[in-house]
Amino acid sequence: MALLEVRDLQVSFDTPDGVVRAVRGLSFDVERGTTLAIVGESGSGKSVATQTITGLTRGAEISGSAVFDGTELLGADLQALRKVRGAKIGMIFQDPLSSLHPYYTVGWQIVEMIQAHDRSTSKAAARKRAAHLLSLVGIPRAESRIDDFPHQFSGGMRQRVMIAMAMALNPTLLIADEPTTALDVTVQAQVLGVMRTLQEEFGTAIILITHDLGVVAEMSDEVVVMYAGVVMEHASRRTLFYRQHHPYTEGLLASLPARTKPGERLTPIAGVPPSLIRLPQGCPFAPRCRYAFDKCLTETPPLATVYEDAGHQSACWLSADESVRETQRTDSYAEEASA
Amino acid sequence: MSPNDNAAAPKPAPSSPQDVADVSPLLRLEHVSKAFPVRSSSLFKRDHEFVHAVDDVSLEIRPGETLGLVGETGCGKSTLARCIARLYDLTNGSVTFDGKDISKLSRRGMRPLRRQIQMIFQDPYGSLNPRRRVGSIIGDPFVIHGIGSHRDRKKKVQDLMELVGLNPEHYNRFPAEFSGGQRQRIGTARALALRPRMVVCDEPVSALDVSIQAQIINLLKDLQDDFGLTYIFISHDLSVVRHVSDRIAVMYLGRIVEVAPASEIFENSRHPYTRALLSALPVADPDEADRRERILLVGDIPSPTNPPTGCRFHTRCPKARADCVKTDPELGRAFDDGAEHLTACLHPLALDEDMSLSRPQIEDSEILMAPTPEPETSTGGTP
Repeated sequence: MALLEVRDLQVSFDTPDGVVRAVRGLSFDVERGTTLAIVGESGSGKSVATQTITGLTRGAEISGSAVFDGTELLGADLQALRKVRGAKIGMIFQDPLSSLHPYYTVGWQIVEMIQAHDRSTSKAAARKRAAHLLSLVGIPRAESRIDDFPHQFSGGMRQRVMIAMAMALNPTLLIADEPTTALDVTVQAQVLGVMRTLQEEFGTAIILITHDLGVVAEMSDEVVVMYAGVVMEHASRRTLFYRQHHPYTEGLLASLPARTKPGERLTPIAGVPPSLIRLPQGCPFAPRCRYAFDKCLTETPPLATVYEDAGHQSACWLSADESVRETQRTDSYAEEASA
Repeated sequence: MSPNDNAAAPKPAPSSPQDVADVSPLLRLEHVSKAFPVRSSSLFKRDHEFVHAVDDVSLEIRPGETLGLVGETGCGKSTLARCIARLYDLTNGSVTFDGKDISKLSRRGMRPLRRQIQMIFQDPYGSLNPRRRVGSIIGDPFVIHGIGSHRDRKKKVQDLMELVGLNPEHYNRFPAEFSGGQRQRIGTARALALRPRMVVCDEPVSALDVSIQAQIINLLKDLQDDFGLTYIFISHDLSVVRHVSDRIAVMYLGRIVEVAPASEIFENSRHPYTRALLSALPVADPDEADRRERILLVGDIPSPTNPPTGCRFHTRCPKARADCVKTDPELGRAFDDGAEHLTACLHPLALDEDMSLSRPQIEDSEILMAPTPEPETSTGGTP
């Protein structure tokens, strides 16, 4: 059994403008000790999905199931959730400054976290453990820096503190929501290195939410590509980069400047993502898809196995066969989208 | 729309050193410094401490080229951009635009030049007034510079909107009704209204999703080709900078540490910092990512209030030697590099040198102070 099994997760929010359908039928597994990357652009539902799993989307309409280590998380009461959050599922967010309390020292915050879940730990022991954790994530002179406040740390160091805190109780799953997006590349490399080392050492499973395909290529085992609240493609890392099936995945990769010769025109995806309040009929990507044909505009494609590879799924009507693909393609919709 | 005559400078091809001498630069920075006072630590002392955001930067930018400016947070790249556009006064040095020293001009004296140097900002949300209609935002430059009648202006604005790929019928909409990518198009239209010769783009695509980012990069490229624009393109994203730039300048702690044609920076970087920066860049290619030897920089960028002595990078440099602590290296040619490729390093890297083998030979190094993570032993196992 997988460590986390999410099935048909649906999340919607009632807003004054209408119902925002942020996640529409998301299913995935996370195996112990592996990294699942969830990639997508703004508004694809990648963050909402994981926040829902950990009970952080209050006021949302939720259905589906998320079983973590034998426990159903969706609909679980606060007491049960508290036992899991922090202790068994650690979380890191994009902005480490707003995730740390400015008024307390980082040591105090880590100690509080340890004691909240494990009353038997003495303050001295918890403090010793906090210092050890800080040195584990690469903070120099951890013994003295433990009494510093969050503002006395740089962005990269704060994110390390967050990782130390998330790892404090040795969780089996770490959810990292854009952990390095606010950081410079050299600091990003350091933080990703810390995450990798910790995974090797403690066998922690990681859900890595990111929009950066470079980070995905370096960190993931499995990848889920989301668009407008649904999974477009699910594959292992190498399959996704070298044998992707979905036109959206193809479009994302083609947009990268590194994939085009310097000075040549980039290949963007035409148009903009759809409104989550008024979703188009059929495939949500069809209005921007260069391969779209009639069926795409009326019927929603299911997530189905492609290339006869059980681990590779794509939600697209297109044939896997390149030659058929070209004949299925009509440019009219793509032209419409770019207008 | 036809390109403005004075803006239609022919695009030069500054590829070989011989060409370089022929083209006179559009913009020349000489020893440009910008320091910001910060509150002094003592209550009664009058003397301030200073953050040396940009320190002694000299650069030339040729007409029609794109100069990429890269560096990490706090390296001074945005401050330098604002000094060029004269949004900040310089603390020291001079900025010469088209043969004229603009660094000491008054606000009034600067006004005609504002038509020629424009800026595009990073945040497409923060740089547009949410309570004003898009048409009036884009038309502002015409009003400020008293160009055209009211009716003319509307026509001009709609032409501009079409030029940057916005629907001219959306003239009366508010910024909130546009997506991030479209807002960046609005900012671009505003910057181009007066047909500038030079546009300083400060992280223009950093806030955008990758598929939209490609749209905006293509747009900027098209506009450059059509109007012969000269760009200074600032970004922390090296893959974007490589794509758009003819030349790239790498900044660290207020200084330019290396400047060279884009391909030289990527294939033959000399400065250890440049090499480390390139090595940290994640690549969207699993095989390449697995193969790559990474040079991890240790520690953080030091405070610009009190920068390290000598070479500013010596505290984090794997190749640091005793002389790096004392001598401040100047930009110059390393090995047999062309006149185009300048590096500020006392011990520049050879072409195939493996920097990961180097260890600093100084005491004051972050690398030697970093903790080495060890498995837990002392705290009695993991809970």
